Amino acid sequence: MAPTAAPWAQAGQAGAPLARRPPGTPVEEIIHAEPHMPGAVPSPQLQPGVVPRPAQRRIHSQEDLAKFLKSQAIKDFVGFILALNDSVRGAKLSADCPTSAATTALVDVLDTLWGWVDEVPPRQQSLRYGNPAYRDWFARVADHAVELLQRVLPPDLAPMAAELAPYLTDSFGNVTRIDYGTGHETTFVALLFCLARLGLLTERDRQALVLRVYHRYLRLMRRVQTTYWLEPAGSHGVWGLDDYQFMPFIWGSAQLIDNPFIRPKSIHSHDVLEGYASEYLYLGCVRFVKQVKKGPLAETSPMLNDISGIATWSKVNSGMMKMYQAEVLAKFPIMQHFLFCSLLPFDDA
Amino acid sequence: MGHVLPENPYKDLDAQIEALMKCQPLPEPEVKILCDQAREILIEESNVQPVKCPVTVCGDIHGQFQDLLELFRIGGNCPDTNYLFMGDYVDRGYHSVETVSLLVALKVRYRDRITILRGNHESRQITQVYGFYDECLRKYGNANVWKFFTDLFDYLPLTALVENQIFCLHGGLSPALDTLDHIRALDRVQEVPHEGPMCDLLWSDPDDRCGWGISPRGAGYTFGQDISEQFNHTNGLNLVARAHQLVMEGYNWCHDQNVVTIFSAPNYCYRCGNMAAIMEVNETMRKNFLQFEPAPRRGEPEVTRRTPDYFL
Repeated sequence: MAPTAAPWAQAGQAGAPLARRPPGTPVEEIIHAEPHMPGAVPSPQLQPGVVPRPAQRRIHSQEDLAKFLKSQAIKDFVGFILALNDSVRGAKLSADCPTSAATTALVDVLDTLWGWVDEVPPRQQSLRYGNPAYRDWFARVADHAVELLQRVLPPDLAPMAAELAPYLTDSFGNVTRIDYGTGHETTFVALLFCLARLGLLTERDRQALVLRVYHRYLRLMRRVQTTYWLEPAGSHGVWGLDDYQFMPFIWGSAQLIDNPFIRPKSIHSHDVLEGYASEYLYLGCVRFVKQVKKGPLAETSPMLNDISGIATWSKVNSGMMKMYQAEVLAKFPIMQHFLFCSLLPFDDA
Repeated sequence: MGHVLPENPYKDLDAQIEALMKCQPLPEPEVKILCDQAREILIEESNVQPVKCPVTVCGDIHGQFQDLLELFRIGGNCPDTNYLFMGDYVDRGYHSVETVSLLVALKVRYRDRITILRGNHESRQITQVYGFYDECLRKYGNANVWKFFTDLFDYLPLTALVENQIFCLHGGLSPALDTLDHIRALDRVQEVPHEGPMCDLLWSDPDDRCGWGISPRGAGYTFGQDISEQFNHTNGLNLVARAHQLVMEGYNWCHDQNVVTIFSAPNYCYRCGNMAAIMEVNETMRKNFLQFEPAPRRGEPEVTRRTPDYFL
């Protein structure tokens, strides 16, 4: 599966061994942020006479990444993830939640992409892992990205579609390598962040963003992964949480906080998994891992097994957020691909 | 008085191999001694280590220890069968420590019967990203064993040459290396560089497109059939055997039989559904591929849960 990518790729610098902490010491948050929805800002790109500039990469070195990790933009981004996290505490996936034109349109776009998977079947081939039909599906998404986003944007914001299109496209994996990973997932969250920045998604939409939009995205990506055999980008193998996703472990553990009878150790109960995987993202992830990986959980997923020993979901939830910051947001191999635009600027520190 | 047998000079090593075959990791001080002994052997080997037939050529293992035992069941035990492993012993799987310990112990015990090359994962930087470092911390409580092994990895030969005909290496060719003598001239005892000929040997992949191409991996190159044909012709070879890429049948011919890819980790990462394969080369240089599936696991491994630092 995973063709190993060079962690120094495009770094343009020789790397000393990565700095590591001594084991057994608690980890501090890298980014201190309060849960908050990003305030709506007028995009500079909507000014008359400004030609929209598609979102682009800006992190080209460890120094760039260090700068980004200290910026207001990353604080706002993490605050957004935390705001969604707070909104789904104790909420089941089937819970009634307010929706809006934007959240409904986002689900509709994801449904369209789901339909395209039906129309682009995998090719008969068994030599390599990734299926080349993925490239056809992806090309279709890329070709229609602007138009798909215009379904979400009201007419006065339609010109923003060109700027945001790269976020949409990059949310679904890498077409050259036929792979997908937590960086692509983070790009999808960044798209939602930008839409909130435009004022299109508000406080009221928080639950629907997780329970409806993200959940739809997750189901689509699982289908894309299994249909086209996407290679997990930068997989740590058994030493990671999951080969592809991170967000459902954060938001999914929030869903279970203060649950009267499902505990972290309940993942070992077949009945709990079967009964509640469709209501709680975290349990859905564990069930998915158990379906795709052959072997005992302690061997195929020692991290999940370890975490099942933690007493409360609240502790799991805060640990997941720290882990996400350290293992995704602070990792150069992932963040070198992160996209910036006028709504999520690089140099606003 | 009966005849007294001389004491087996390999008694300790044989005991270590026996423990490792049961998937029991060695104590830290024994790993240090083992790595010191291995270094003295590897330092004598060439960048293009000559290997005689018959030999069985194997690809990536990635810490899938039970499947390595299956490989020995299918291919024959070392030293009854001669082996050539083309790198990537560690990372991603659960048992990288036991896997690399066993292969290094076999190398020390039977130096002429087993050749172990360097893969792109036998590197300090890669193992910190893809799992071996974390596994060493977990199993030993500190990074010493990781350091012993990664220091040893600098001495592993980069390539091997079976009877001057089959050129074996982990990744592929390099635009900076036209001849085997160019490879022999490299100073290999160092961390795998981020670019340059030594990096390319461990990172490159064959491709359908002609010529040299940019690798999507961000290290090494892609090389076309024209390049493979020219390299084999220039060096009087008839095959490049390499590993480094998952192939669903465990082996895959390409470039009009100028290159073969061999991958020896079945159902890679417990999920990929691929077969594994090894390539037997017999006394007459005939090649025979043996495919195999994952070894049956014997229930839950004995593990104690340990709270990851993020959750302390």
